[in-house]
Amino acid sequence: MLWVDKYRPKSLDKVIVHEDIAQNLKKLVTEQDCPHLLFYGPSGSGKKTLIMALLKQIYGASAEKVKVENRAWKVDAGSRTIDLELTTLSSTNHVELTPSDAGFQDRYIVQEIIKEMAKNRPIDTKGKKGYKVLVLNEVDKLSREAQHSLRRTMEKYSSSCRLILCCNSSSKVTEAIKSRCLNVRINAPSQEEIVKVLEFVAKKESLQLPQGFAARIAEKSNRSLRRAILSLETCRVQNYPFTGNQVISPMDWEEYVAEIATDMMKEQSPKKLFQVRGKVYELLVNCIPPEVILKFMLSQRLLHELLKKLDSELKLEVCHWAAYYEHRMRLGQKAIFHIEAFVAKFMSIYKNFLISTFG
Amino acid sequence: MLDKKLLSLEDDDNLRSSRSNTKSKPRSSAATTTNPRASKRARLSGASLVDKIRLSFEDFDEALSGFKVSSGYERSKNTDLWVDKYRPRTLEELAVHKKKVEQVKLWFEESLDFSKDGLRNNVLLVTGQAGVGKSATIHLIASILGVTVYEWNAPIPTIWQEHVHNSSSGLKYTSKLDEFENFVESTRKYGVMASSSTEGIKAPVILLIDDLPLANGRHACERLQNCLLLLVRSTQIPTVILITDYDKADSSDQTARSMEDAQSSLERAGALKVAFNPITKNSIKKALQRICREEHCKVTTMEIDQMASASGGDIRHAITSLQLFSVKPDLNHTKIKSPRPGMDDSYHGNEQTMYSGLDSGISSCFGRDETLSLFHALGKFLHNKRETDNVIVSDCSNSLVHDEFARLPLKMDAPEKVLSQAHGQAGRVVDFLHENVLDFVSEGAIEDAWCVSSYLADADLLLADLRGKMSGHNKTEDVPQSAGASVAVRGVLYGNKQPCSSRWHVIRKPKLWQVEQSSMQTKKNLREQRNISYEGSRVADISVMATEYSPVLKWLSYRASPDAFAGMGEETDEEESEISEDDEIQDW
Repeated sequence: MLWVDKYRPKSLDKVIVHEDIAQNLKKLVTEQDCPHLLFYGPSGSGKKTLIMALLKQIYGASAEKVKVENRAWKVDAGSRTIDLELTTLSSTNHVELTPSDAGFQDRYIVQEIIKEMAKNRPIDTKGKKGYKVLVLNEVDKLSREAQHSLRRTMEKYSSSCRLILCCNSSSKVTEAIKSRCLNVRINAPSQEEIVKVLEFVAKKESLQLPQGFAARIAEKSNRSLRRAILSLETCRVQNYPFTGNQVISPMDWEEYVAEIATDMMKEQSPKKLFQVRGKVYELLVNCIPPEVILKFMLSQRLLHELLKKLDSELKLEVCHWAAYYEHRMRLGQKAIFHIEAFVAKFMSIYKNFLISTFG
Repeated sequence: MLDKKLLSLEDDDNLRSSRSNTKSKPRSSAATTTNPRASKRARLSGASLVDKIRLSFEDFDEALSGFKVSSGYERSKNTDLWVDKYRPRTLEELAVHKKKVEQVKLWFEESLDFSKDGLRNNVLLVTGQAGVGKSATIHLIASILGVTVYEWNAPIPTIWQEHVHNSSSGLKYTSKLDEFENFVESTRKYGVMASSSTEGIKAPVILLIDDLPLANGRHACERLQNCLLLLVRSTQIPTVILITDYDKADSSDQTARSMEDAQSSLERAGALKVAFNPITKNSIKKALQRICREEHCKVTTMEIDQMASASGGDIRHAITSLQLFSVKPDLNHTKIKSPRPGMDDSYHGNEQTMYSGLDSGISSCFGRDETLSLFHALGKFLHNKRETDNVIVSDCSNSLVHDEFARLPLKMDAPEKVLSQAHGQAGRVVDFLHENVLDFVSEGAIEDAWCVSSYLADADLLLADLRGKMSGHNKTEDVPQSAGASVAVRGVLYGNKQPCSSRWHVIRKPKLWQVEQSSMQTKKNLREQRNISYEGSRVADISVMATEYSPVLKWLSYRASPDAFAGMGEETDEEESEISEDDEIQDW
């Protein structure tokens, strides 16, 4: 088992990072009924951990006994029936799934499963906690239609089914859903907090952490706790005992993106653009999300390199275009078009800059 | 079996010829008097040959370009289609390119010469668009050489009601394909013996298969192909197979593709292939002029010109148009003249306006809708040809545009028109443009490259509206579709300020499609991997899986990171080698 899973806090009391939120959640479910919840925040901040701990708080140990299954639904949509298959993770009291995996048919999933859950409503021994919980991941990736149908079903079945929604950015969740949920923002943990967690893990694993090593991992982790723990584990595999100046190797795709960025700085021509396209394709084949590629390209390399050479006005321009194309990418369908447009724009800006400064 | 078939075939002929006696009689007599070779032929094979020729007259895959003057024609003037009436009688009249005719003739001579030895390739495959004179050439050469043509005459298709009616009486249904198979089988085994036995004269014989049964679906296609292969390998009589090329633009059409498959498999089996090109405008014009002279119809050269160019190399169509045009001259005249009712006879008064009038009037009246292949259209867009000389700079429409944004006029129709001619789906066109456009941007013009890719991104945005509502029932959804395609095409045309000097390029198939597919596959793998490796303890997002877990898992299983990417590279290399659907475009 990976350390990320092994040292995941199992209950709300044991949470290290977002203690205040955990306590609030605990109060919420112990004192009264649980409302619909919407967790949002950057990845690796602990949303899932909190959700699982919360479920345990509500249902006790039974929430941990989960089984994974590929479930098939037959949805009757007017003239035809749609066959859908999705992986679900469920215990007796809750179901967790990622509806956006179903692509554009996600709305059927949402409606169908909520209806199904509402049909067999559990009855507690005391006869009061009669609701199930449905955990939906990646709500921000749901299509607009799915979000609308979610809103309707949420209202209709709210007595028997509670929703816990989880997403990275609440801006892509419609207002209608946001207003029906209790919004919980989970911030990315600060570097100090990450160091604290890393030290906790190291202690449990009885590892010797050299001075400043944890801090370096935390710095490299981009404020993602998951990332930090994963790199700690890889470092452990690569070289133990740790040395103070041990290389914390980046992910392979990160190196690859960095390579692309270097390419872009080196030469600005349609030919190079074509080569960059090929490399981006390889990343996409490996399911690296295009937004991540763009963001990483910009934040880790380009701006860093530009910092040395460019004046801030140009940086602003580059950022503007990056934001512009990132936005369009989300609206659009084929990410490569937009990434490429950004790359071309950057090359063009950079070339002009080089010509104007160095002649 | 075959005898029976041939017999029935002739029965059919007799029936038909008796029906159309008045029609066929004058013709054959005309032929005998005017054409010595034709008379020879007639003598050689007697009346039934005339019937056979008659039979082929029914066939619509015929083109005709010439005619012979004969007073006998006057009688049938109103009854006949000009296409049949003026079918070519001599090689000079045939509008098909001489070289091709020569090729076909050579094959004829060879196959008839060697037929005693029986050791050579017996099958000729003639391809070409509709109406370029494939069957006409065969029939003409056959008649010149005194060869009897036996045609595979497809049985009349059974309609459903008929089938229902027949099935009660115990008749079994046989598909066209079944019958064709039977036919091929019997030809292989027995040859066409019927001819010699019934007529008593030993005339050389060829078999003409003009109407391949329509094979629908993979299974049927395979059957047809096997059948044809068998025919090529073991036929004893020289066989000509005609295949009509459908426009490449309809390549999504299953039939066209199966026909192409059949073609290539035939070629592989050793059939000689002769591809007929569309007939040139000049040849069509010449043919039309001769007909006009003959029919004494008043058609100006300009109109003929129009018709010839509107026909798109289809001479049958051109002749039919001519007939239509001269049968109802009044109708057309009013149509053309409508802007200037005062003019009666002289077209030459104001040629320029007349010309434009014809342009809209005639082409809509008897133009054939031109189609372009997708690749042709893409080539147009990518090469981006523009007028370079005689550009009027002081054009008032230009002066409204800033110099920086002004472009030279295009050397093609409006991009939207070209698009609609190519029948391209917007998404497909955009993908193709995206894949290939960078090859055409000249070196160092990164500004242009940005402009182009930015427009393509815009197009993607417009096309993306379809997400989530896949069904294309709604007409309004076509609007963003065509708008998207238009933006992409015009963006490519506009953005590429200095297109590369036209070199030879290969248009690649969008790699994006493969990327999409393989990324779907990876996603699936990741999902499975997730279920296995975490023992169901959690559900991680795919993106997290891809970016964080899987690299770490790779490390943890002691695999160095460069390996992973090396593997990745190989994978894509393989993909590249898989791209086989390349189509070449040269300088159009």
